[in-house]
Amino acid sequence: MASAEGKNQSAPKQEEKPKIEPLRLPTMEEIRGQDIWNNCAVRSVVSGVMGSGLGLFMGLFLGALDNPIMQEEMTGRQQFIYTAKQMGRRSINSAKAFAVMGLVFSAAECIVEKARAKHDTTNIVVAGCVTGGTISARGGPKAACAGCAGFAAFSVLIEKFFDRHD
Amino acid sequence: MAAKPTSTMEKEQIFGMAEKEMEYRVELFNKLTHTCFNKCVEKRYKESELNMGENSCIDRCVSKYWQASD
Repeated sequence: MASAEGKNQSAPKQEEKPKIEPLRLPTMEEIRGQDIWNNCAVRSVVSGVMGSGLGLFMGLFLGALDNPIMQEEMTGRQQFIYTAKQMGRRSINSAKAFAVMGLVFSAAECIVEKARAKHDTTNIVVAGCVTGGTISARGGPKAACAGCAGFAAFSVLIEKFFDRHD
Repeated sequence: MAAKPTSTMEKEQIFGMAEKEMEYRVELFNKLTHTCFNKCVEKRYKESELNMGENSCIDRCVSKYWQASD
């Protein structure tokens, strides 16, 4: 009797004790795989490539909407080739512009965020200012300031839009 | 003259010291994770992964804590 009661008492005690799972730290491969995305160069290059893709599509789209310069002596097929060349040239220019924009923005944001060790909107503002400044640096200091402010405001709006969307 | 180099008493002492060391290390690790988490990660979670700012903050926090405690 006593032994049976002893057995009954010990069994629920073992069930009550919670199963402690061992601590699973990430392996070196997992850490390296996650660290690739933390690298500023990789991030900015990927952003540049994505920007160039976006620029390509936008250039094609806007080039298609553009009014064709019709010259009367060209046949239909020649007009088509001419329009296609215009579209291609425009899309390549647009792709370059967007690639530079994406690269500079991503690199600036990455560097600033790593230095500050905080995830804030001031990172976006600084990165936007740098990007706008480099894009419109040819027009002189006033144009650079205006580009900086405009692009910073634009990027903050886009970031807020994406945050609310998520 | 003892036949074995460590008697039972010394073995128990060594075992007790190892246990204390283990407890100390575990306590250090727990305090480290709690401190650096409270310092570096914002309370309102916007995404599930650690972003880059939090990563570099955690790197710096852990390095400082380790240097300060060892």
